[in-house]
Amino acid sequence: MINQDFVRQTTGFYQPGKGGSTIWRSLHTDPPLVIGLVLLGCFGLFVLYSASDGDSNLVRRQGLLMLVGLLVMFVVAQFNVHFYRRWSPSMYAAGLGLLGLVLAIGTEENGAKSWLNLPGLPSFQPSELMKFVVPMLLAWYLASRPLPPRFKHLFWAALMILLPAALIVLQNDTGTAIMVFMSGVFVVLLAGIKWRIVFSGFIALMLVSPAWYLFLAQEHQKNRILTFFDPYRDPTGAGYNIIQSQIAIGSGGIYGKGYGNGAQSHLDFIPESNTDFIMAVLAEEFGLLGILFLICLYLFVLVRGFYIAYTAKDMFSRLLAGSITLTFFFYVFVNMAMVSGLLPVIGLPLPLISRGGTSVITMFVGFGLLMSIHTHGLRNRS
Amino acid sequence: MNGKWQLKDHEAERQLFNRRLTAAGIVVGLLFAALIAKLVNLQVQQYEYFSARADGNRLHSQYVPPARGLIFDRSGELLADNQPIFNLTVVKEQVPDMEAMLERLSGMISLTADDIEQFENRLRRNRVPYTSVPLRYVLSDEEKSRIAVNGHLLPGVAIEPQFVRRYPLADLTAHAVGYVSEINREELDRLSDEERENYGGTNHIGKSGIERTYEELLHGRVGYEIVEKNNRGQVMRRLDRTDPVAGRNITLHMDAELQIAAEEALGDFRGAVVAIDPNTGGILAMISKPGFDPNLFVTGISNKDYSVLVNDRINTPLFDRTTNPYPPGSTLKPFIGMGGLQHEFVDYDFSIQDPGYFRLPGVAYRWGDYTLRTAIGGGHGRTNLQKAIYQSCDTFFYDLGHRMGIDTMHDFLSQFGFGDNFALDISYARTGVLPSRDWKRESRGEPWYPGDTINSSIGQGYMWATPLQLATAAAIMANKGKVVQPRMLKAVDGKPVEPENNNPVPDLVVQDEDYWRYIHESMTMVVHRPYSDVFRDYGTAFEAIAMADRDMPYKMAGKSGTAQVVGISQDILSSTDIEVSDLNKDHGLFISFAPALHDAIKPQIAIAVFVENGEHGSSVAGPIAKAITDKYLLDILKLDFDVLDAEAESMNQLISQAADD
Repeated sequence: MINQDFVRQTTGFYQPGKGGSTIWRSLHTDPPLVIGLVLLGCFGLFVLYSASDGDSNLVRRQGLLMLVGLLVMFVVAQFNVHFYRRWSPSMYAAGLGLLGLVLAIGTEENGAKSWLNLPGLPSFQPSELMKFVVPMLLAWYLASRPLPPRFKHLFWAALMILLPAALIVLQNDTGTAIMVFMSGVFVVLLAGIKWRIVFSGFIALMLVSPAWYLFLAQEHQKNRILTFFDPYRDPTGAGYNIIQSQIAIGSGGIYGKGYGNGAQSHLDFIPESNTDFIMAVLAEEFGLLGILFLICLYLFVLVRGFYIAYTAKDMFSRLLAGSITLTFFFYVFVNMAMVSGLLPVIGLPLPLISRGGTSVITMFVGFGLLMSIHTHGLRNRS
Repeated sequence: MNGKWQLKDHEAERQLFNRRLTAAGIVVGLLFAALIAKLVNLQVQQYEYFSARADGNRLHSQYVPPARGLIFDRSGELLADNQPIFNLTVVKEQVPDMEAMLERLSGMISLTADDIEQFENRLRRNRVPYTSVPLRYVLSDEEKSRIAVNGHLLPGVAIEPQFVRRYPLADLTAHAVGYVSEINREELDRLSDEERENYGGTNHIGKSGIERTYEELLHGRVGYEIVEKNNRGQVMRRLDRTDPVAGRNITLHMDAELQIAAEEALGDFRGAVVAIDPNTGGILAMISKPGFDPNLFVTGISNKDYSVLVNDRINTPLFDRTTNPYPPGSTLKPFIGMGGLQHEFVDYDFSIQDPGYFRLPGVAYRWGDYTLRTAIGGGHGRTNLQKAIYQSCDTFFYDLGHRMGIDTMHDFLSQFGFGDNFALDISYARTGVLPSRDWKRESRGEPWYPGDTINSSIGQGYMWATPLQLATAAAIMANKGKVVQPRMLKAVDGKPVEPENNNPVPDLVVQDEDYWRYIHESMTMVVHRPYSDVFRDYGTAFEAIAMADRDMPYKMAGKSGTAQVVGISQDILSSTDIEVSDLNKDHGLFISFAPALHDAIKPQIAIAVFVENGEHGSSVAGPIAKAITDKYLLDILKLDFDVLDAEAESMNQLISQAADD
């Protein structure tokens, strides 16, 4: 199947072959992205060391995980992005199958039944795969259709998004479901869905949400919403986390209390200080300046991601690169907003800073795809 | 090429995508801006607030209780010290389910319903949140280790060391030294705000005796420390500390050895002994028997133990017999006799012919002689003041009292401390009753009858005095009128101090100094009369004291008394219990000072002995006073009367030589 997209290239906006980037290109590596990620990772390990009260074993494990992630990223980047495009429907189908399998024989961990133990394979979470398979499929689907997408295409696109999201919700893993959902939605948004539809969808959501709150929401979800509006309605219970993390952030001030001096974190007032709430530790010890530094690092990676999406040579690559970048941003923003009290508490880690397992690898897969998009196209041209 | 593909305009789509990407970039920028605005709000605008909150989270100011001052006797023996114990304490706010926790604890250590009740009382008291409250005192080593092993099951429960009061002499100092016990609601309310602050770390307060009187000296000043706690309330670091100022160590005039001797001398009797050093007013011994173990009160006496103490209506161990009044009986006679001399109702030559009774002019009623009520009848015969004192002739004093009148008697006796509390630091002592016309009118609304004077003149009727007052009066008598006010406190931190005196008393001055010698002689004859074959040479004190110890190296002046039992409730009186029927017996009293009539040494000890239901002052209470005096003069002061007598002898020779020249 020959695609027009594949043949038509960008219109000379990008100036290839400048400087000494040819070696990197042949290695399918994007140095700015790698530098940004490595800096973020190192900063993350540095903060984690303090947040974990100097648990060097834990930090070493996390460092190892990041190295594995980088390796995965390089491996992923070696394949041409169109290889992934071709295989995306198959991968999607396989992913759905695995999700079904999880529902049948999956194992539970931390309240979510999302793990799969298949003989001969390490245990893994199929829902993580869907974080990049879903945008891939949507990019594949929408790129080959006229843009902005028509209504019937949107209908199918919605189905492609909602099916895996629903399966993941059934696994009781709302956080991942939201990420999968958003990664698909970003593709649709970037594909040029009419603003009218976006806004009416948004308004519909607004109208439906009270009904959801009244009839469908579970007790702990209602609690989170109420706590978001008033953390002090239960300061030692539901509101404890957000109150303590705000105290940590606020008491950090502009310059912070200094590395290792965060009383809130070292006296265990901050819950989940290694994972979801690690930003509170950072904010307490390094202050506003520390947070701004972290935001700058993230912005550097994001800008690079936007640049790759902008310079990508076909619509599939663009949509995929844009979605990966925006999903990364979504992670960062939701976590930071949640910890500082701008959003209700949703259990999402801070990418590359929080201690965490599979989601780190998934993220590096995403960056691997970005590098693949950026490097293979050029070679193809020259 | 079908229609679907023809519709694709790649350039337009790319531009659409770029517009969307730009829009996304703007949204990303806006959201980051919102995030930064929120962070600026938290970290810059609300920095002060959150900084204070963070400190409030981790920093806790806690009290450091001061060590309570020690109490020593005059020779440095400990009367009250502090001993470490280990308590089980609970921080209520950290216990998720108090009932379940108590249940679990009672499986590990002994925890009575009483303990739990007292614990709940403590929780109800006004207290600072997140402070630990004792649940059980004095954990055994085994209990300690059981709690330690199960620590993880017991959030909010801790073992805290504490210093608590210990009274080595136990029962012997229960009333005089008193005891400390847990502060109760009323005591907390009584404290001023500043004082309450000072008691922030203290569980105990002096409840009685010296512990209460000198609470301020003994308590010390509370210290503070600022500690950093983690979210489970564990102390991680001490950041700042203001050391507490320990209470002052105080030394009493009391002599532990003499206190023990007094207790032994009382034997199986209930009663009281007060011994005073007439030179200083220092109280050498002060004991009420039976006592109780004050150590029980320190860590909270159990209801069972307490009800045993309260319900013992025969022994009434909680009742302080040294500071509660009884009719002084004939022990009052030397003082009234002195008043007679001073106000010239009698002189050395005055005597009466005693028929054995007294009649008021124009009244048929005969006031009998108590000394003679068991004798065959008849009187003491020709009796002067001296004989009236050593034979304890009631008729003489009926006559003297009648002629003096109650007002003169009242005014004179008040100079010895009757009806008043001369003691400087025993404010809880009762004043007894020194009756007068005014007193009777005010308290009873009745006029004074001549017969009231007759009863008063032999220390009966309305006359009531405490053993402490009797000892005080004996000391003033021994001092020949120089008033020394009784005191417990001798020194603070080793430096001698004079207790605060809100009621200074002038010395008692009489017309003729020789009166003192005369009364001293009379009182000495109570104890040391030479053996006489004279029929009806009444008085048994000398038989029980001087005749029982013919080698007695010093002279003791004394006076016995017998007080009728008043005010026993009918159910006790009608009891068939032998021990209870004893309660109807008279109380025996004896006052004394020694050495008496010695030219080389002044009296060193004045004593009042009260023997409850002892029947006889002279034969029961007298020997007790003698034993205590022996102990003090011979064992404790180690006076060598051979040397002293020789000294007196040579002094007298010098004086007589001087007189001859």
